[in-house]
Amino acid sequence: MTELLVKNACVFDPLNGISMEMMDISIRDGRVVESVSATADVIDAHGCLTLPGGIDSHSHVCGTKVNFGRYMSPEDMRAGRTARRGKMHITSGYYVPTTYGNSYRYSTMGYTTVLEGAMAPLEARHTHEEFTATPHQDMMANTLFDGNWAIMEAVQKRDTRRAAAIVAWMLSAVKGYSIKLTNPGGTEAWGWGEDLTSIHELVPNFNVTPAEIITTMIAANELLHLPHSVHLHCNNLGKPGNYETTLETFDLVPDRNNGRQTLYATHVQFHAYGGTTWRNINSKAEEITRSVNAKPQIVMDMGQIMFGRTMTMTADGPMEFNLYCLHHNKWSNHDVELETASGIIPVLYSKKSLVNCVMWAIGLELALLTKNPYQCLLATDNPNGAPFVKYPEIIGLLMSKRYRDEEFATLHEGTGQRTVISSIDREMDWNEVAIMTRAGQAKALGIIPQGKGHLGVGAEADIAIYPIRCRDVDPSTEYRKVIEGFQKTMYTIKRGRIIARDGEVIVEGANSTFWVNPSVPEEISVASDPEFVKKFEEYYTVRMGNYPVQDVYLPRGKCIRTEAVL
Amino acid sequence: MRVILETKKRIKPFLPVEAESIIPRNFLKGTDLTVYEGNKERALSELFWIFVEGTAVSPDKVEIVLKGDTARIKRVGEYMDTGAIRIVGNIGMHCGNFMSGGLIEIGGNADAWLGREMLDGSIVCHGDAGHYCASGYRGEKHGMKGGRVEVMGNAGDFCAEYLTGGDVYIHGSCGDMAGVEMKGGQLVIGGDAIRPCGNMKNGTCVILGRVHKMIPTFEKTERRVLPEWNITADVFKGDVANRGKGTLMIKIPELIQ
Amino acid sequence: MIIKDVVCPFCGCLCDDLDVEVDGQKIVKVQNGCTLAESTFTGSNRLPAPIRRTASGWEAISYDDAIRDAVDILLSADRPLLYGWSSTHGETQSFGVHIAELIGGVIDNTSTVCHGPSILAIQEVGHPGCTLGQVKNRADVIVYWGCNPTEAHPRHMSRYTTFATGFFVPEAQRGRTVIVVDTRRTESAEIADEFIRIKRGGDYEVLSALRAIVRGKCEVLPREVAGVSREQLVRIAEICKKAKFGAIFFGLGLTMSAGKYKNVRNAIELTDELNRHTKFTISPLRGHANVYGSNEVFTWITGYPYAVDFARGIAFYNPGETTAVDILRRGECDAALIVASDPGAHFPHSAAAHLAKIPTILIDPHQTATTPLCRLQIPCTMAGIDAEGTAYRMDGVPIRYKKIIESSYPDDADLLRQIHDRIMEAKRA
Repeated sequence: MTELLVKNACVFDPLNGISMEMMDISIRDGRVVESVSATADVIDAHGCLTLPGGIDSHSHVCGTKVNFGRYMSPEDMRAGRTARRGKMHITSGYYVPTTYGNSYRYSTMGYTTVLEGAMAPLEARHTHEEFTATPHQDMMANTLFDGNWAIMEAVQKRDTRRAAAIVAWMLSAVKGYSIKLTNPGGTEAWGWGEDLTSIHELVPNFNVTPAEIITTMIAANELLHLPHSVHLHCNNLGKPGNYETTLETFDLVPDRNNGRQTLYATHVQFHAYGGTTWRNINSKAEEITRSVNAKPQIVMDMGQIMFGRTMTMTADGPMEFNLYCLHHNKWSNHDVELETASGIIPVLYSKKSLVNCVMWAIGLELALLTKNPYQCLLATDNPNGAPFVKYPEIIGLLMSKRYRDEEFATLHEGTGQRTVISSIDREMDWNEVAIMTRAGQAKALGIIPQGKGHLGVGAEADIAIYPIRCRDVDPSTEYRKVIEGFQKTMYTIKRGRIIARDGEVIVEGANSTFWVNPSVPEEISVASDPEFVKKFEEYYTVRMGNYPVQDVYLPRGKCIRTEAVL
Repeated sequence: MRVILETKKRIKPFLPVEAESIIPRNFLKGTDLTVYEGNKERALSELFWIFVEGTAVSPDKVEIVLKGDTARIKRVGEYMDTGAIRIVGNIGMHCGNFMSGGLIEIGGNADAWLGREMLDGSIVCHGDAGHYCASGYRGEKHGMKGGRVEVMGNAGDFCAEYLTGGDVYIHGSCGDMAGVEMKGGQLVIGGDAIRPCGNMKNGTCVILGRVHKMIPTFEKTERRVLPEWNITADVFKGDVANRGKGTLMIKIPELIQ
Repeated sequence: MIIKDVVCPFCGCLCDDLDVEVDGQKIVKVQNGCTLAESTFTGSNRLPAPIRRTASGWEAISYDDAIRDAVDILLSADRPLLYGWSSTHGETQSFGVHIAELIGGVIDNTSTVCHGPSILAIQEVGHPGCTLGQVKNRADVIVYWGCNPTEAHPRHMSRYTTFATGFFVPEAQRGRTVIVVDTRRTESAEIADEFIRIKRGGDYEVLSALRAIVRGKCEVLPREVAGVSREQLVRIAEICKKAKFGAIFFGLGLTMSAGKYKNVRNAIELTDELNRHTKFTISPLRGHANVYGSNEVFTWITGYPYAVDFARGIAFYNPGETTAVDILRRGECDAALIVASDPGAHFPHSAAAHLAKIPTILIDPHQTATTPLCRLQIPCTMAGIDAEGTAYRMDGVPIRYKKIIESSYPDDADLLRQIHDRIMEAKRA
């Protein structure tokens, strides 16, 4: 039995309605408890900001395309190297760090849970291997279904139960957590070098539209009672004028769940462009947030870009190819048979580029114009918008109008005409920041029942103590202190163990992977459907028996079982 | 001030030594520097006899002389910004990487990656240079950006790969693919070259000797007299395969297809 | 007993549809595999116990002694080299990297003599590729450049390309055009619709020419490039531009002829150019079954796919300097650990010879051409036969090797774990 007492913590725990309360937190055997004995280890938070461990609800850190990004970038690897030190392995990489690099940097920032943004089922084994090598964060995987042949067949037949059965089999086979759709239908079109330009356009050869894929999958998701909602990277990412596609997509979403959103729209900044060309692109954040403010069934994340070099990597193959045609940087592509696509290309976001300045403004506008902070979460689609180590700077920008104005003054002079950021006075407070970086994610991902995102009795003791005395810091003017404070915790605690102290990771990790095993009635299960099996064996290049991810890959897997209601 | 470093005999002379601490600026503070031999950290005095003549108040007045068995000593002059380094004999890999000022003079041959990613300053090699002379690093879009590298002898393969700015002058011949991926600056080859300037995007290359295996995607534009080289040259634009707008000038009539 | 869907651990095809008949702990028969698979599964010549070199020959020693010797050798080295990795599974590869990290050594894998140049090219221009099933289901044009799959990857064409039926290519070979490019007429060329014979060393020029033609600039070219007529080049470019889905596969003909990574880069840039007209992909034909696995494991831990030098405490990568062949040729290393590979057979003589001059440890199930060069050999399981673990196919798809028989050999992952742990202990003391 191990006990830990955190004294003098200045706690924000939005899910339990706690806001700037001084309290002690008692921990036993990895969980928050009412009280501990006198023999407990004690640490003193000295009245500093104490939050539940950070949760990243969309980050590309593990898997095939992430590793592609690494090995094609030796010039980035050499930019961020650290030596072996104490319990810490060597790390390399600045915008696509190695797995240990990611893990230590997240720990230093107080993050203890991460959702991998995209995992192709066929290559799930790779993602799980890298999860084990990201040892200080509990992990879970968004599982890609956007170009899935079996799914599109079910959608074409308007067979939602069939779609649900396929999802159930796949999620449990590859130990995924949630349904991810990236440019639905578009990734299949990309198999022929094409793309779709509207959610009502037919996918070549499969005769379904993105709208149909999205609505069917939402229905299937709710049938299966999955903890997270459908997680969507909308069609037409990055194209001027795409806000219309985004609004059209949002209009498709019913309100089907009392506990959480029915759609999680990711990195919406990239989907909020007005105009018709790069020359007249402008911000449509107001239109987007108007829609979201009226739709409690939608949660989004910012997809904030920050200036500097970074790597884009998504399952949106055609979009990445377009970036290649624009910038001629080194471009990688990796289409996955019967399932999805992906592309990788480095980018530079520059203040000299009016387009990039507009993008920067849009991310912030989305956050500041969304009334309910639970509906717009902080993320950069790491590393697409910026490496996650930039989150503290984003917090600084959200909390300080002055900081925003100072940054704005250094941007391209045309930015003001295309955006509304300079007219927004709102400054997020500590409570809202806590929602946007942990409480909101826990709710959206459906991991509150797993004890994540809060510090009430029974919660997993994932805690971040930041060297910020909230009563003494005015985030509106002292944004530098805010940024520095969020960059390095005094303590990061995971399941009751202190894993990081002042930027140093001091123990070996033992993370868990959350996955979902949805069960459906035997009569619709696809594993025993001869048609499904026959097509699998015929068109895939691996045998169906070898496809599922064996238990050995999840040494501390946490399986969440759900029951379909048909 | 002159610092003379003479190599001592080593028990395992084949182990490479990494000596990025040997730059003029560092010797203003004294000679208490470290180098690496394999994976072991060693004091400079363990590997070198050190003689200091005179004093200096600024780094530009520091001259380092390296003598002895210096062929496996790597990274000398790395990030050097001023002063001078003279190597009497041969020098190991990565001599003058990221150099931004000052002078490096090599009496013998230089191993691979001489002057890699150089920004400014001057390197003169009296012997031959190895592969990747005046080149960039794997994955980077830009190589040498400025300064001057002059090799009296021959250079190996991939000389001036990714050349972005500055001057490279090889008096002798180059190996395979000199000037490949170049996009700026000037490369002059006094002797022969094999398959020069593949994928050239921009910049200028002048070849005074013979070209073997000319790359087929260069477009001949004119014949021009080059007074500074005292030759008549065929002028090519390319690499057309790469939408390149570089200039490749080859002394006539010694063009071998 | 017949075990179905067994994964073959020989080449990068990683076929996972073999049916292997076992009788007790003996492999009797292999079905669906090629001849290379046959000999992999049914071959013998496994070393029975660890052996150590003596003045007069060899002596058998215990595993414990062997591990102790290995640890001593590695701890006392100033520049240890850890090489190989490609024929074993992921867990072993991970331990290898962690050991190199601990002892400040250099770790390299067989990419160094195979597709290392492909990796260098990818690091310059990226890799527009796909999984093999995309090719099977869609490709109507297939190009084999500088490789001979009929001999080296015997089932590549029947499982993944030419002869396979795909969802969009139901008539298989009849619906596909196959182009083979080589310096000599190989067996693979015999089934090609178009064979291009290139003068040795001329791949780069031909690729540049093709890029210019696809760009519409064929008038710049001479009549013949490296022995290939401009006419044939124009015809090939047309076939490629008119393809619905083209797939290029390449091998050592590009990676190991003059220019090496520049040849591969040019082929990738040709693929990029073709993508402006239609869908085209390019993929290396990886040799060893799990060489891509060693690239993946090295990369997610160190950031680099091969040739990683830890002498300075951080990971340093510079092929040409930190690659095994170069280090051995220059006589730079003073100890070596060879795992799951055969440099004695594959390395240039001057490099392999150095292994005999220094204390070399070999961890490999078989007596190989490397055995005579080492001081100590420790036999272990064969991944895919008596050990299970992860392997990465040539296109990046991860598949788990099955353990189809039991043996008394230790898993090499276990051996390396013990070496790793003892080194940790020694460093703490």
